[in-house]
Amino acid sequence: MRSKLLALSMFAASGIAAVLAPAQAAPAAPSQITIGELYASSGPYASISMPVYDAFKLWVDETNAKGGVEMAAFGGKRIPIKLIAYDDQSSTATAATLYNQLITQDHVDLLIADSGSVLTSVGVPIAREHKQFLFDVSGTGAAFFSEDNPYIALMADPVSTIWPHYISDFLNDEGYKEGIRTVAILYSTNDFTGTQAAALKGFFERDKKVKVVYYQGVPTNTSNYTVLINNIAAQNPDAVLELGYVGNDIAFLRNLQDSGNQFRFVFTIYGGTEKEEIEKNVGVSAVTNTFSYVPASNYEYKPEVGMTQKEFRAAWEKKYPSGSGVAFGANAIYGYMTGLVIQRTLETTKSLDQMDIHDAVFALSGKLKTLDGTFELRKDGAQIGEVTPLGQLQPAGKNDVKLVAVYPPDLANGKAVLGK
Amino acid sequence: MRSSRARRALLDAAIAAIVVAGMAIARGVYSNELMLFNFIMFLTLSQGLNIIYGFTGYLPFGYVGFFGAGAYGFALAVMHLHLPALAAMGCAGLAALVLSVILLPLLRLSGAYFAIASMAAAQALYEVIANPDLETVTKGPYGVSLAGVFAPAASYYLALAILAATLLVVVWLRNSRFGMSLQAIRDDSVSASMAGISVVRGRTVAWTLSALIAGLVGGVFAWHISVFYPDTAFDLSVSIFATVFLLFGGATTLVGPLLGVFILYGVYNVIGIAVPQYFQFTYGALIVLLVLFLPNGLVSLLTSRGIRVP
Repeated sequence: MRSKLLALSMFAASGIAAVLAPAQAAPAAPSQITIGELYASSGPYASISMPVYDAFKLWVDETNAKGGVEMAAFGGKRIPIKLIAYDDQSSTATAATLYNQLITQDHVDLLIADSGSVLTSVGVPIAREHKQFLFDVSGTGAAFFSEDNPYIALMADPVSTIWPHYISDFLNDEGYKEGIRTVAILYSTNDFTGTQAAALKGFFERDKKVKVVYYQGVPTNTSNYTVLINNIAAQNPDAVLELGYVGNDIAFLRNLQDSGNQFRFVFTIYGGTEKEEIEKNVGVSAVTNTFSYVPASNYEYKPEVGMTQKEFRAAWEKKYPSGSGVAFGANAIYGYMTGLVIQRTLETTKSLDQMDIHDAVFALSGKLKTLDGTFELRKDGAQIGEVTPLGQLQPAGKNDVKLVAVYPPDLANGKAVLGK
Repeated sequence: MRSSRARRALLDAAIAAIVVAGMAIARGVYSNELMLFNFIMFLTLSQGLNIIYGFTGYLPFGYVGFFGAGAYGFALAVMHLHLPALAAMGCAGLAALVLSVILLPLLRLSGAYFAIASMAAAQALYEVIANPDLETVTKGPYGVSLAGVFAPAASYYLALAILAATLLVVVWLRNSRFGMSLQAIRDDSVSASMAGISVVRGRTVAWTLSALIAGLVGGVFAWHISVFYPDTAFDLSVSIFATVFLLFGGATTLVGPLLGVFILYGVYNVIGIAVPQYFQFTYGALIVLLVLFLPNGLVSLLTSRGIRVP
């Protein structure tokens, strides 16, 4: 009797399972995944936006050539990517309208912000209002991230308050041993560089080794630094940190060379980050022995996902041959890196629901190692991995410089040479 | 005579009501709310500019200064006084009014001198607001975030209310003795003065009204967008767009600026989204054609034939 009952219940269970099985099968797969992105083909942010856009297109083409992204949520089916991209021309007003357009009219599955903090800023409240997860490529402004907003994560570079850490560590450590006692900080007054400048000032004041003798913000559209450099020289600092966008760094380095002033330690953000662009505009001699961040475009991380830096560079140069307009640099890495995060997110997400996208992105934190280093998110979505080492543009042969990582010691592949 | 004037005023008011109702309905039909909000913003700004330019002949290139003052008046009231959004809107209007009183002496200038001086004033205000040393007060160049009061629907309808009020002011100006006295001042201030019209009073009222409208629009813009930088609030293209829309449609009328905004801003959005690379070319060509063939705006197609345009 008992065995009959058991057999009956097993039969019933298998029947129920058979009935339920179709309900648990993978949902119908969409014919394509639409990704919305903004870029700036003109205006002050074009130089950081276009490499990101071009690199992301490269990732889309590469992925579609394989048939699309293999999505577990749809039974492992490969689904092609459709990219919808609009040009905001570096205007925040246009960008705001276009973010809305992508969300409300194009109904994109995934939304990618334009480069930099300014053009990202208007997208943050819009994405949040529409409960659309925002893939923030390089908008590092600290104000974007709060634990009550789950609809944002920073992809490709660390939040501004963390980024300059190695500069102050180096100056307080090795720089101090070499006699560096005073520092001048000249920064462009925008979210990106202003936050870094404030963080640096805080680090120096906390450690009380190197004294800040000059701390000045200037508008981001400043194009002549001659008077400012002379003002700095009057304070006789050992180290000068100039924090600006590409255009600022070009103007600063040109004016510094023309002025004839020399400092023991000179730092610019884009001297290394967009090395080719800077070299093209100011010449090798103006950047020789200056310090900068060492972006992934000049450092060989060992990726577990996607191409190595060398492979990516080769793919970039094949698709965008030299002279086609957009130079290879850190922002190109950021664009490709964003593609890799999206790829892993789509592969692992439970569905295209925006909170599932959020969960899939955050599940990658600390586990995703790409050519940009280790992707690691704070709870609020700020990037705390991918911290770039401090580097120096040291002479390499005739009329050339090489970006050498000099700090921290475990990432260094050369030794810093300070001026006398 | 009086009844025909009343009929004209009624027709003008009906047009205003249709525009406001249309923009209210549009929100339920078209979901890119920010684009619709921008339409309302420029409809209001071009009418605000119409009050000072169309009725008195003063063209302030620095009109964006009042807009920015309003945006920051709103933001400072929210950030420092912790006022609710509607009360902060009062501060937006007040900031623009105070600025307009400070800049009253500019009305002693005229033509290009006035236009350039007003632009310089707006730029000066921008520099003050964006000064990094004032970061604790204005947030300097780092922009303000008003996430706590972010309310897109409420701010949209308030913008609509401001548009309605502005259109009614223009209807009143077009159909009142005061509006006619302003036009008389614009055409010949000496003759108007000889006829007993208070030139200074007329210009002052038009100037402050126009500033108040821009300030309120700036305030509701700050509320609607909630994150902005000084560059955004004092962006000269706000002045340029409002001016171009006004001139394209035709000043001193109610319909002219409305046409200018609907046509040009519509074209801007269609081209700007679909083929941005052709935007400047198309826009430039439209404006050149207008200046060459219709220097008094689209409405002059009718007014030149003696047809009254509302």
